Amino acid sequence: MSIVGASVAATALAKTEAASNKAKITDFGLSKTQWSDKLQEIPTLCEMCVNKCAAIARVEDGVLTKLNPNPLFPKSRNMLCARGNAGIQALEDPDRLKYPLIRVGERGEGKFKRVTWDEANEYIKDKMVKIIDEEKDNRSTIGFCAGEGMAEHTYKSFMADKIGSSNFVNHGSICLATTIAGYTLTLGGYGQADLENAEYVIMAGANRAEAIVTPDTMDVFKRTKGRGTKLIVVDPRFTNTASHADKWLPIEVGTDLAFVLALTYVVVSEERYNKRFCSENLSDFEEYKKHIISNNYTPEWAQAITGIKADDIRETARDFMAHAPRAIYYQGRRTAWSLQDYQLRRAQAIFSAMGGGIDKKGGIIFGKKLPLGSHDINSPSYDNAKERIEKSKAASIGTSGSWIAWRNTIIDGTAPYPIRAFFAYKQNPMLSIPNTTKTKQMLEKMELVVVIDTMPSDTVMMADVVLPESLYLEREDPVKSFGGTEPSIALRKPVVEARYDTKPVIEIMRGLGEKLTKPLFEISKKYDESLQEEIEERGEKAVFKEDGYDLAEGYRHSQKTINHHMVSSIYGEEAWKTLREKGVFYPDMDKFFKKISTNEYEYYPEHKKNYSVIQGDLIQEPYHDTCIDIEEIAVLVKKFRTATKKIACALYNFEKRKGVDAMPKWRDELYTPTPVGKFKFITGRHGQFTQSGSANNALLLDLLPENYLWINKRVAEAKGIKFGDNVAVKSKIGEIQIKAYPTEKIGPNVVFFIHGFGAESSELTLAHHRGANDNMIIEDIYETTFGSAAMHETVVELRRV
Amino acid sequence: MARYGMALDYKSCINCKACESACKEENGILLGADKHRIWVGVKDIEGIFPDLSIASSGFEPSQCQQCDNAPCQSVCPTNATYYDDNGVVRVNPDQCILCTYCMEACPYDARYIDDRTMTVDKCNFCSDTRLINGETTTACQATCPTKVRIFGDLDDPDSEISQVLRDRDHHSMKEHLGTKPKLFYLT
Repeated sequence: MSIVGASVAATALAKTEAASNKAKITDFGLSKTQWSDKLQEIPTLCEMCVNKCAAIARVEDGVLTKLNPNPLFPKSRNMLCARGNAGIQALEDPDRLKYPLIRVGERGEGKFKRVTWDEANEYIKDKMVKIIDEEKDNRSTIGFCAGEGMAEHTYKSFMADKIGSSNFVNHGSICLATTIAGYTLTLGGYGQADLENAEYVIMAGANRAEAIVTPDTMDVFKRTKGRGTKLIVVDPRFTNTASHADKWLPIEVGTDLAFVLALTYVVVSEERYNKRFCSENLSDFEEYKKHIISNNYTPEWAQAITGIKADDIRETARDFMAHAPRAIYYQGRRTAWSLQDYQLRRAQAIFSAMGGGIDKKGGIIFGKKLPLGSHDINSPSYDNAKERIEKSKAASIGTSGSWIAWRNTIIDGTAPYPIRAFFAYKQNPMLSIPNTTKTKQMLEKMELVVVIDTMPSDTVMMADVVLPESLYLEREDPVKSFGGTEPSIALRKPVVEARYDTKPVIEIMRGLGEKLTKPLFEISKKYDESLQEEIEERGEKAVFKEDGYDLAEGYRHSQKTINHHMVSSIYGEEAWKTLREKGVFYPDMDKFFKKISTNEYEYYPEHKKNYSVIQGDLIQEPYHDTCIDIEEIAVLVKKFRTATKKIACALYNFEKRKGVDAMPKWRDELYTPTPVGKFKFITGRHGQFTQSGSANNALLLDLLPENYLWINKRVAEAKGIKFGDNVAVKSKIGEIQIKAYPTEKIGPNVVFFIHGFGAESSELTLAHHRGANDNMIIEDIYETTFGSAAMHETVVELRRV
Repeated sequence: MARYGMALDYKSCINCKACESACKEENGILLGADKHRIWVGVKDIEGIFPDLSIASSGFEPSQCQQCDNAPCQSVCPTNATYYDDNGVVRVNPDQCILCTYCMEACPYDARYIDDRTMTVDKCNFCSDTRLINGETTTACQATCPTKVRIFGDLDDPDSEISQVLRDRDHHSMKEHLGTKPKLFYLT
């Protein structure tokens, strides 16, 4: 007892010192719990990932003290994930980009000087004028990329429509291009999985417990484990999603197409499909059935390829159709996996359609989207702007390009003309594009690299000019309409004043536009014959004004003014007021929105939900995924949709014109088996991390400090690798080192680690050299239909170090 | 006056850690893996690849169980740990002497040392951050993506939590210890 007593006394002594510290802390207000009288609750939209959940910021005396979920938004249904909560840390991150910078050291050395916006724009102007003049007004010599975001279109319209370059690349070809295209060409739209009502869901590769997408994540996991949805998870890894599954089917990497074809074989040979739906709504269905049977896509055939037992394939196919039409083969999102990915998505879409669950409650639905007013950009047409450089590198490359093919075209000397300058907005290609070494080579070739971002990423370190964007919590972005069964409009508006010398994209474009307008117009006058003719006919002043040569035009109004017009021109002033006050608007929201319980809200009454919207055929414009360029899809649809307006089992025109198989077909030559003793490398996301964008966030690193290599436990044992040991992972293109996490949750011939770690930038205090960068080892392979990355085709070997 | 408790639909948990980060932001908890009021327990999966037992996996969201008969309260030599008017087990930072008896006594490992206030602290249902300011629920409940938690007054027969506990089977952690937790796991 006396010993304990003594220790209490000793602690009490220490406590006295602490108490005096505490008094000081109280002086600084840290222990204050009563909220300030000047408390404001400001609605906005999150940007910690691309999902755009609605948040309410608690701001006390101008300081953001908490981010809470906004219950009014049907898409995010009153939730904010770990990253959403960590937004405060992003705002307060001392490493943020604060001022415009111009490089002073060697490129990549990370030495910059602080400049004014005007000095930065002047520097950009001098380089651009020289380059565009030397390229005789071929505006496409300026390459540009963007990450997904609400202001992506503002930036893209400036670079593509005003500056006039066709060389745009975005995340599509390293993310969801194949699934969007596969579903759109087959069904007429990507649609949305109605996981609130589905009774049977096959989730293959998608990992909604860790790669959070709303409302999918909230809808599905409330109904798993015998509570309404049977969930079949097909994944080489046992993920958090798999722990909610009724059945987990670990599959050989890159063989999903064989699995889906065998499911189809079972359903065709046993005639379990929805006969009425198929006969009325599927085109070339008889041919497709013949194709499946004659190619012998039997469960036994698939077992040899996929490693999934034939009996499991049979059971899954039968169960799926027994629950159809409330049965979904989940579309998936980042589907840049294999060389056969596009055909895989086609096969999935057709298989889902065979159950009849398209445009139906509990199936894949298209929903509705509330229209917004327009904000048109008057774009000049430039005679000498050439088409994109990698156009011939895949069967169909759209306006969002093929990142890998595009970059490789620049460095391998096959480009028809040089790309001499490069702009990046909100994307970090140094970490996000397979083969970091090549991305670095590409950037090194540029005469001008301009990066717009909030954090000093690895790409920022390669820049000549850095333009700091205000954080999402500090700016207003273009108002957005969110489609679905319960459509709504939501607004991101600033919750605190912009700090430092940062600006939103629209103001950055305005500044650049004002600087570039005159000198670039002079260059066009020199080389553009159509322009010369127009000037001769109508006079320079009129042509300049009427044909859109004022590059800042369209960016002069504040975003708030533009948003006001886009909303009030359609829904009136009251709607605009509601949107600003509540963060969300949809017609009759005041009547429809109800709180049912602590955790449940009703947004629309059941009979007002838009489950089935297509009448007669697929002409009506369906709801598309929120982060996809709608215009681009519309072009694809127009070009490739069959004349019959039916769900397309066969796309003969695509085959005839581009040599792409009309019907999904397994091709052995497109599959790389894993050599004995080696491993397929797969990558993926995590619920506490958004790619490399949140890599420096203190709160998130607290939850997940670094990435680990998942390796099968018994394989690790045989190699003498224990938890935490350093392992070298080597592919054809590079080698990284990472700590090991031996586990039975992955098979013996696969290894995995999370994407987004391994930053080289020394300006990222917390992220610098933390964990490993997957794109140092992922080979720059892409499939040849859309030029989409095939990120899971890389074979690696391991060695303990 | 109320008697606050929480029901957890734990089967919906996906271990996304939204609750942990919301708690840290709301309550100003210092960073560090050993500094937390709330966490998600992960069970090691049984079996060897590919024959894993899905049933053996799963997530168990946890925090202070808000015992009606709290061992941490009864061992506290200075009465720093006390029951407030709403039955919430609280800690008075001015009386805590960091003896850590409560850490030893707690069968749920729910206590941690807050280096800033020099207190052996714990979850208090956001009493001093949210409830005092008129909020009706905790930060973890509000933010949860799959809506695991129901927070409310156990003494009010009409409250949602009382109804749910009447309608659905549930259990508490380590009931045999007689701690009478006010956290209920819905089965």
